[in-house]
Amino acid sequence: MQTQALTVRFGAVAALSEVSLDVAAGERRAVIGPNGAGKTTLFNAITGDLRAGSGGIRLDGHDVTRLASWRRARRGLARTFQRSTLFPELSVAENLGLAVRARLGGGWCFLPGGGGRLALEVAERLQQAGLAAQAGRPARTLGHGEQRSLEIELAMAAHPRALLLDEPMAGLSGAERRLALERLRALPRDMTLIIVEHDLDAVFAIADRITVLDHGVVIADGSPPAVRADRLVQEVYLGRPA
Amino acid sequence: MDVLNLAHGSFYMLGAYTGVVVLGLTHSFWLALAAAPLLLALLGGALEVVFFRRLYRSGHLLQVLLTFGFSLVFVDLVRWRFGPQNQAFAVPRELAGTIPLPGFGFAGYRLFVIVVAALVATALLLAWRRLRVGAILRAGVADTEMVGLLGIDLARVFTLTFAFGAGLAGLAGVVAGPYLATYPGMDENVLILALVVVVVGGLGSIEGALVGALLIGLANSFGAFFRQDLAVVLVFGLMALVLVLRPRGLFGVRA
Amino acid sequence: MSRAVRPALVGAGVLALASLTFWAPTFWVSIGIQALIFAIFAMSLDLLLGYGGMPSFGHAAFYGAGALGCAWIWLRHPGIGFLPLAAACIGIAALLAVPIGALSLRVRGVYFLMLTLAFGQMLWGYAYQAPREVLGGSDGLIGVGRPPLDLVQNLDQGLWLLAGLSPRGVAVRDFYNLTLVVAVVVLVILLLLVRSPFGRTLEGIRENEHRMRAFGVPTFRYRLAAFVVAGALAGLAGALATLFNGFANSGSLYWTNSGLVLIAAVVGGTRSLIGPALGAFLVLIVQDALSSFSQRWPLLLGAIFIGFVLFLPGGLAGLGRLSRTLTVRP
Repeated sequence: MQTQALTVRFGAVAALSEVSLDVAAGERRAVIGPNGAGKTTLFNAITGDLRAGSGGIRLDGHDVTRLASWRRARRGLARTFQRSTLFPELSVAENLGLAVRARLGGGWCFLPGGGGRLALEVAERLQQAGLAAQAGRPARTLGHGEQRSLEIELAMAAHPRALLLDEPMAGLSGAERRLALERLRALPRDMTLIIVEHDLDAVFAIADRITVLDHGVVIADGSPPAVRADRLVQEVYLGRPA
Repeated sequence: MDVLNLAHGSFYMLGAYTGVVVLGLTHSFWLALAAAPLLLALLGGALEVVFFRRLYRSGHLLQVLLTFGFSLVFVDLVRWRFGPQNQAFAVPRELAGTIPLPGFGFAGYRLFVIVVAALVATALLLAWRRLRVGAILRAGVADTEMVGLLGIDLARVFTLTFAFGAGLAGLAGVVAGPYLATYPGMDENVLILALVVVVVGGLGSIEGALVGALLIGLANSFGAFFRQDLAVVLVFGLMALVLVLRPRGLFGVRA
Repeated sequence: MSRAVRPALVGAGVLALASLTFWAPTFWVSIGIQALIFAIFAMSLDLLLGYGGMPSFGHAAFYGAGALGCAWIWLRHPGIGFLPLAAACIGIAALLAVPIGALSLRVRGVYFLMLTLAFGQMLWGYAYQAPREVLGGSDGLIGVGRPPLDLVQNLDQGLWLLAGLSPRGVAVRDFYNLTLVVAVVVLVILLLLVRSPFGRTLEGIRENEHRMRAFGVPTFRYRLAAFVVAGALAGLAGALATLFNGFANSGSLYWTNSGLVLIAAVVGGTRSLIGPALGAFLVLIVQDALSSFSQRWPLLLGAIFIGFVLFLPGGLAGLGRLSRTLTVRP
């Protein structure tokens, strides 16, 4: 996935300024930066939730800049949200069912039935996510960690080519963090991963490359050791004086 | 206030009928003019406290339906008490004259209506933009919790605002009485138009309401002039156009 | 209430309604017809409002379009069969729903409410002042007869004979049976629809549209489809109304009609199909039956409605849900 000179403005404020990224297939890229740096804005621009003022976005070599968000999702782009975006009143199984059905197609069938295959896959995913016990409960009754787990599983159900994870570690306890990290590590290598995170330990553990944003501008882009040693990054993000 | 009130037309209607009753009792138009907004403000405040405030968090649909129910009740109550016919509501002698203008005579009462409207508009605009209460309201709708934390009793502000709005509607009713007809269905016509105005002007903006009212009023009058009932299509067409192009209305503030 | 009880109750209700033709006086059969028509109208709105999460204040536009379309077609082709007539009216309403939906569904919530109101009123305005030759002016189109109902009549006579009674062959009762059949068919269609993959997707869109789009679902298309189906069924209700009344006028498009069906749906309890049907019965009985006893029925209706909105926002169907939650352990 690539972005070229992506710029997003909100009125007079440039949330993103000429941001260019080149993420190779299968790469694990982390995007870090202080609060308000524009990380979520970047995600929103990539998925199409926000219209970019200028610049381009390419997925698998195809220009998707003009495409609606759902079309980009169809092309293999999936994401999780900073705040879990589930279907609160529906059961966990139903949540997953919607995700799987969206991928399988068949939403235009006006008669009930044909859910066998769907149910099987939902059961599998429930197991994978460790949520089999909660299958029938409304999603809003899940604990925070479980909700984040479901959130990731929903995105995974689309068999995406590129997965954007927005702060997957947020709010997780120590044990939950370890589990989440393992899950991330276990993700298939043919899936491209772009992670926005504040948990730097996780970042340095997973990422192949790190991009650092500050005030909407890329200030560093490279391998983890290089970024860690970069003085500008240290100054801006880690707070050390120059 | 971010409340959709379909009973607002009823306040208008009740204002007109209050005017009729007070006029009948006291033979003074000016007393009627003062009484109607006061009584309607009281009624509005009472309704808000007892019924409407329960639905602030329930979303617009339930507010629409609740107030729609009330409008049915009010119309029927009026019809019951006064009958379905038009009420006689005489223009007061002081305002009944005609002002000679080049080419035609301008009815004195119309001038009165214009003056009242101008005064109300100015007062509202000033209050909305300059006075504390306007700021509190604007803030209160944007972030209720925060305003509460600032120590402002938002519930009371809402009640007073609602009462004020009802009072204004009553004023409109008693002013309109001698000019337009006074009958139980009068709330419908004005309510629909008022909704269109608010939507076109933009929710959450007094300036918008003013501009919207002028626009829609002109569309309505010119439409009716050229071809009867074209006015309806014109008015609603305008509203549809604005909503499709600018869902927030021309000056809309709310998302 | 266990899961098995509800369908049983509905089935019992349908049977009870079916038996009406045998014992009820004509006045009540007429009320029954109007209640069933209104129930179809309300159920169609439930698809939109309860399942789709789209509160429309202009649903009467499609009802009226079906009603006027039915009269228009009948007056040009008297004696036309019921099925082709119904199909045509459904088609008219659906065709109208496409552009209105395409424009209205671009906004949500209160703006959608207002926009559908606007379109409804525009259509009313047009119908009201349309030239007499086209839509009959303010009187509307009059002189609509009933389509031949041979199948229904034969069935009906058969039933009467089975019951050992002599057939009373009043046209009203035949029409009642027809309306009941149509209502049940519509209910079944909608029940199947909301449980289908389409229905589930629609519910997902209602619960979290943003998420659905992130799954790659073209949410606008689904909402539009639901809007058109709902409009089409409303048109069917309107057509039946015209056939019953013998005339159709622009009044059926007026916004208060949209308000009334909203009342029925909410009082009955949205997202249940049966609820709005019950609500429709209630509203209609208050309106028609009570109006012959007292002029004050709007007062009563308004008061009932206020009571429901304040204390029972889940409506009548909500009562069922309430009792279920009270008896099941949390």
